[in-house]
Amino acid sequence: MIERDSMRRLSFTIAAAVLMVLGAIAPAAAQLHVDVTQGTIQPMPIAIPDFVAPGPGDGTPAANIAGVIRADLERSGLFRPLDPKSFIEQIHDINTPPQFNSWRVISAQGLVTGQAAIQPDGRLRVDFRLWDVYGESQMLGLQYFTTPENWRRIAHMISDAIYQRITGEKGYFDTRIVFISETGPALNRKKRLAVMDEDGANPTFLTNGSYMVLTPRFNPTAQMIAYMSYIGGKPRVYLFDLETGRQQMLGNFPNMTFSPRFSPDGNKVVMSLEHGGNSDIYVMDLRTRSVIRLTQDPGIDTSPCYSPDGTQIAFESDRGGSQQVYVMNADGSNPHRISFGTGRAGTPVWSPRGDLLAFTKIDAGAFRIGVMHPDGSGERVITDGWQDEGPTWAPNGRVLMFTRTLKNGRGSQIWSVDVTGRNERRVVTPGDASDPAWSPLIQ
Amino acid sequence: MSQSRNQRRTSLSAATLAGDRRSRLGLFGSAALHAAVIAATLFTWQHSLQIADESPPVVPVDLVTIGEKTNIAPVAPKEDFTPKDETPVTAPTVDQTTPPPVQMAAPDVEEAPPPETAPSERLPKSVPPPVVPKQRPRPAPDQTKQKFDVNNILALLNKQQPAASNARGKTGARPHAGIGDQNAMTMDLVDALRNQIAQCWSPPVGAPHPEDLIVAFELFLNPDGSVAQPPQLAAQSRAAAAASPYVRAAAEAARRAIYTCAPYKLPADRYSQWRDITLVFDPRKMVGQ
Repeated sequence: MIERDSMRRLSFTIAAAVLMVLGAIAPAAAQLHVDVTQGTIQPMPIAIPDFVAPGPGDGTPAANIAGVIRADLERSGLFRPLDPKSFIEQIHDINTPPQFNSWRVISAQGLVTGQAAIQPDGRLRVDFRLWDVYGESQMLGLQYFTTPENWRRIAHMISDAIYQRITGEKGYFDTRIVFISETGPALNRKKRLAVMDEDGANPTFLTNGSYMVLTPRFNPTAQMIAYMSYIGGKPRVYLFDLETGRQQMLGNFPNMTFSPRFSPDGNKVVMSLEHGGNSDIYVMDLRTRSVIRLTQDPGIDTSPCYSPDGTQIAFESDRGGSQQVYVMNADGSNPHRISFGTGRAGTPVWSPRGDLLAFTKIDAGAFRIGVMHPDGSGERVITDGWQDEGPTWAPNGRVLMFTRTLKNGRGSQIWSVDVTGRNERRVVTPGDASDPAWSPLIQ
Repeated sequence: MSQSRNQRRTSLSAATLAGDRRSRLGLFGSAALHAAVIAATLFTWQHSLQIADESPPVVPVDLVTIGEKTNIAPVAPKEDFTPKDETPVTAPTVDQTTPPPVQMAAPDVEEAPPPETAPSERLPKSVPPPVVPKQRPRPAPDQTKQKFDVNNILALLNKQQPAASNARGKTGARPHAGIGDQNAMTMDLVDALRNQIAQCWSPPVGAPHPEDLIVAFELFLNPDGSVAQPPQLAAQSRAAAAASPYVRAAAEAARRAIYTCAPYKLPADRYSQWRDITLVFDPRKMVGQ
């Protein structure tokens, strides 16, 4: 009996011990789990003080570079450069860490410190560091050497580096825009081929305006421009070499050729060729000059554009009765319609990222810029002007430029908009401008 | 008189007997009928009834268990606390090394530091030792209360608990069970946090494949709502951030949101419930907005 009691007590003790062990192992306090699915899209506050100028003659480039970076980042809509007057700490040495507290109190989340100095050999040396103010760590530190005249490009490169580090996406500030500059009265409009930096600086005219030019497009190295011109009264596709300033007609076709565009490898140009009121899409190999016809349809097929991998071509066609966007393989096989939204759709342009196609949506008398996936799904209209058309992508596939024609003949302008439809703003051009084409990042 | 009463009793008992018999019958009858009714509910004739569907639209709701009582402040042995000062995430360092000079042609620019991965993995690459290695975004009073003080045990426990649990991977310094539901996640706290963070979080809206940009952070808060220590990216997110610059950017945006929003306004008496938080930032719903 006593033995049984002690046995029972022992088993109780063991059970209690097991329970205690289990109790100790089991997690006691729960973690609060919060799913954050809503945010507030707002630009990131960033402080970019004027760069440090160690020498007496370094002050101007140092201030200029910081100014261009501030303007670049502000224009992107993703950053809010803070007013330099609000800065508490003055940066004198970029090789010591800043006092993060004094940047936190002005609510800067990022800080860019830099230095610009003319070297004894006459070159400009620019260093900069990007700091994470809350994380109190350096996110990026780079150094550049260049000729002093090139300071603007260095500023754009720094903007690109900051943009890429913060967003994960390549920047687009060190790029150029080729466009059609329009001057003069409506009846005697001069249309000239022009090129400028992405921020509107350094505009240069490439043609003199004695003949009309249309639809310029960069090649993948941004050294060659394909465009349509009426030299000698005949509308033909020409190539313009930016380095040599030479232009040449692309092929010698009996009829009108138009809406050219380079292939992603730069070796081919795809374009439309008109023949007896019917236009079809042709591709010309620039090395062999051989031409292949890609579409055989009696409808009007035009505005071809390669996918970034070069395997497909998007184009517009009215073969189904109205102007719509179609996609076919690069050899012309399997053409199929992808735009099924309301109204009409034209001028498709494949995003360099490959995930979207931008196009001109014509609905209820209005022209707007839309985007959709390459299979036609997820169509969104991202602008709301009276007549917005002819989209072109930034090399990172995140921003678009387009032509905005104003009502009542008040001219045309170039505007840019984020792929999300936000941050719509006018691109500064000398006078009226249309038909922009964005270059790839300059090599 | 008595006979008649007897007779009545007899007749009564007979009636009772008969009633008994009847009630048993009734019982079976009732059971059978009930069974029949139940059976009838099981079988239906197809298309016999066409009731118009006028149910209101489905409103999705989250069902969250609310603990009846808040947990008693947990008791943890104080010696379990081991501050982990080597947490390298925020130690500010300056890369003093001069990057290799880049030639005049602007496109030849090279990045001086090699591509960084996760924030915590970045630092070892800096050559000099951290200039201010122990500076952390933790409130100053914390540092002064490290000494054991009988009058200050609670404060010590409150502030040190997160560090302990983080440093030991949730195994050692776990408190004993308190009263109430230990898993009580109160929706008002979740809502309060969610609303506050939503003001500060600028989601990566323009990036491709938003479904890949979901990042999770583990966050420890001080009783005053400030961030107790640098928020840790969950292991899975850390691996993704190391592989993709988009995920890294998304993680950094989330981390900035966590810091920008602090201190969090949450009920101080329920600190034990919001001391340790997992925050999942999901930008999918913000795309295209």
